[in-house]
Amino acid sequence: MSEREIRLQDDIDRDVLIGAGDIATDEMYINMGPQHPSTHGVLRVLLRTDGEIVTEAHPHIGYLHRCAEKIGECLDYVKFQPYTDRMDYLAAMNNNLGYAMVVESLAGLEIPERATLLRIIIVELNRIASHLIAFGTYGLDSGAMTPFFHAWREREEMLTLFEKICGARLTYNYVCIGGVVNDAPEGWKDKVLDFLDRFEKRWTEYNNLLSYNRIFIRRSANIGVITPEECYDYGLTGPMLRGSGISWDLRRDRPYLGYDRFDFDVPVGQGEMGTLGDCWDRYWVRMVEMKESAKIVRQAFDLLETAEGSHKAKVPKVFKPKVGEAYVGIENPRGELGFYVLSDGSKNAYRLRVRGPSFCNLSILEKLLPGTMIADAVMVIGSTDIVLGEVDR
Amino acid sequence: MVETFKDFGFAVQTAVKGMVITLKTFFDKPVTLQYPDQRPEIDERFRGIHYLEQEKCISCKVCALACPVDCIHIESELPEKGLYDWARFDIDYGLCMFCELCCFPCPTDCIHMGKEFDFSRYSRMDLVRNMLTWEGISSAQKKEVDAIAAEKAAKKAAAADKKKAEGGDKKEG
Amino acid sequence: MFEQSTVIRAIHSTFEWLLGLVGVDIEIIPESIRVVLYGLVAAGGLMSGIALSVMLYVWMERRIAGRIQARCGPNRVGPFGLLQTLADTFKLLRKEDIIPTGANKFLFAFAPMIVLAGVVAAFAAVPFSYDTETGEGIMVADIDLGIFLITSIIATEVIGVIMAGWASNNKWSLYGAMREAAQVVSYEIPLGLSVLVPVMIVGSLSLADATADQLGGNWLLWRSPFMPVVFFIFYVAGLAGCKRAPFDLPEAESELVAGFHTEYSGLRFSFFFMEEYASMTLISAIGAIFFFGGGDLFGLQGDSAILMFLILIVKILISISVMIWIRWTLPRLRVDQVMTLGYKVLTPLAFFMLLGATIWDLTDANERILGFLRRP
Repeated sequence: MSEREIRLQDDIDRDVLIGAGDIATDEMYINMGPQHPSTHGVLRVLLRTDGEIVTEAHPHIGYLHRCAEKIGECLDYVKFQPYTDRMDYLAAMNNNLGYAMVVESLAGLEIPERATLLRIIIVELNRIASHLIAFGTYGLDSGAMTPFFHAWREREEMLTLFEKICGARLTYNYVCIGGVVNDAPEGWKDKVLDFLDRFEKRWTEYNNLLSYNRIFIRRSANIGVITPEECYDYGLTGPMLRGSGISWDLRRDRPYLGYDRFDFDVPVGQGEMGTLGDCWDRYWVRMVEMKESAKIVRQAFDLLETAEGSHKAKVPKVFKPKVGEAYVGIENPRGELGFYVLSDGSKNAYRLRVRGPSFCNLSILEKLLPGTMIADAVMVIGSTDIVLGEVDR
Repeated sequence: MVETFKDFGFAVQTAVKGMVITLKTFFDKPVTLQYPDQRPEIDERFRGIHYLEQEKCISCKVCALACPVDCIHIESELPEKGLYDWARFDIDYGLCMFCELCCFPCPTDCIHMGKEFDFSRYSRMDLVRNMLTWEGISSAQKKEVDAIAAEKAAKKAAAADKKKAEGGDKKEG
Repeated sequence: MFEQSTVIRAIHSTFEWLLGLVGVDIEIIPESIRVVLYGLVAAGGLMSGIALSVMLYVWMERRIAGRIQARCGPNRVGPFGLLQTLADTFKLLRKEDIIPTGANKFLFAFAPMIVLAGVVAAFAAVPFSYDTETGEGIMVADIDLGIFLITSIIATEVIGVIMAGWASNNKWSLYGAMREAAQVVSYEIPLGLSVLVPVMIVGSLSLADATADQLGGNWLLWRSPFMPVVFFIFYVAGLAGCKRAPFDLPEAESELVAGFHTEYSGLRFSFFFMEEYASMTLISAIGAIFFFGGGDLFGLQGDSAILMFLILIVKILISISVMIWIRWTLPRLRVDQVMTLGYKVLTPLAFFMLLGATIWDLTDANERILGFLRRP
């Protein structure tokens, strides 16, 4: 029996299809994307299909390439900051933070406590906002349009909160080298906490609407199963890794910004609805992470009450870190976002390299898609939760 | 068979659960803002189109230097200390990415992010916006300049008169 | 045969009166030509009625979807945005009719018409009201084989969809067409079986007879305990038959871009659009007539044919609202799950219900139980 047939036999309801496998059919190539409703941007996947079943898949990327790394090498350190917003545009704050942290570690800057806490709050809020989109678009991929709009209803409120603290709704440029741009305005804390209360109620609603919907479970469970070994082989990080049951979170295991002060759980996939490491597990990890982020935000606000220092450290006007190199990896909503900077002592980096989590997570598609059906392929692509802005950079 | 039926039962049950939620949302008030009629409340820190306090600006071009996309173009002359002969202060909103990096280094705190946000135009050239409220030398400063010039002229004249008088004296003497 | 139907008679007398005004006797027109003429008038009436109601449905769909998603929906054109669909229709009419290179031009152009014609033709056998005096349904074609005609004539829709998918010369369209073929054909079995139960209880294939049988609140839904389940099977199979979510596989927009109508634009696209809503109406109408008493509201309507018509319309609207509500709540099933549901759940269940209802009906179980309960 071929590997494909073994895969199919796992699902009891697919016996109809195995019977159909005896009929000789022509395989055909079909282009999914770059203009396709559910490739989450401009991803192009070349599929070889045997009827409804995908036998081969080749992702093609690069349609959104904007030379972000090269721009980083040509611009001053401070000037590159807004460009990081445009990589993973759904979690721009996290990208800001990664870049700011790498430059700080290169220059040996000390960040005041208040700035650190503000960073944690904003980054965790952005994680919720980003996972909301992951939740909504996964609903879209499965054919339910309403969860997407419900998710946007809450994200819209979050964007208003972000607008209140930094003035922008998508490309924030809020976390900057040395701290954050602005201190939180008056009354912002209450608004955030108020929102979190409402959000947690909505969270239960989302689960009843989509997560526990039997049709949705049948669509996402047992699909695109990633074993822990495969996770290591492909260098997966973030919810993709945790969905396979590996408890690894940079916030907990390599604490930065003093994340070890906070009490939060790292959700991992349990294989509740099917096999460990299937699409539903990855989806569920993201859902639970939203709650955990809310927990961290609440604790950070408590600490912020007594936090000392200003929101920004003193940064020299002409910023020239000494010769050296630095790498910082942080936990982006999509996985480990790494920035590597090599300095030759001048105003701009000699080499800047970004380790995009979406890019690495995308690489497993070639392995996951063969053997699934076209509808499953859409679900698997959706469960990787890629942002093409970051894949192509 | 029993499994399939059970599954079907579950599917119906959870579908009904979901439908109750959508029904609840149906009776909720929509969150939509009817945009052109209702305007959003714009926050104090909103990063919209810049505004320039030209009387404070010292034309140091730090903002243009700080801009990552080089969208600020400043041309001015400094005929005299404290005087600015403005030729140009343009921001190209086809390029600008509203990062606010131009506002931080300003020594006199004269460039700010404003609240205006809708600025679609039919041509790219129209996206280049002239930030100047006046060109050349400001009217207030012009008066000052004229006054200084007049004073100078008067001084000169007085000096000339004096010279003349002195010369006359010499002649006489 | 058609002369006997109430609508055709009404058309005939209208023509007679009109021609009488100019002093012409209608008998000078040969009967064969008259039949065609009356048929065309009736078809035009049905077509315009469907087109108008589709406008309402699209508006309903968009408004309900909007509110379900915490949005407003269209509310700018006309009162409550009611004229939005009209505006969209004009936009569609003015759009370029694109036929892709490599498409089979004839089939591509012909397919939308087949699809729409099949559904519209089925409406001929639907009684929109009931004339209590003469005991006739007010319908275009009052034939004894009503439901049989409907189920067989809507099957032609599949041919149109396959034609559209194949002629488009687009792989996504082809997928949509194949899915449609598999899905609609397999769901016709539970649909037909579930319709068979009320047919058996009423004892007639004619929908007008079904209406007559249920007058005065004697609805088929509570004639036997199996009927609610039968209705459920009918509704689910009907949803699948109209390609509505969660069974909208042929046009699954997140998988197949737009399925079989990916390449269609303008008026031809609007035909597919109208077909979807028309078949929703058809399924709702059959459901209302076969399970919920048609134009009957516990006898409150009396003998008024107009009231009965309005009651039926309200029932259809409620059913369509539920369809819309379902569509905007549920995720889509996968193609093999749709097949599983059809063959492994609905078909055996429908058979079981048919068997159960037959036994129930043959043994007069209703009367026995009622008699037992009434016993002091």
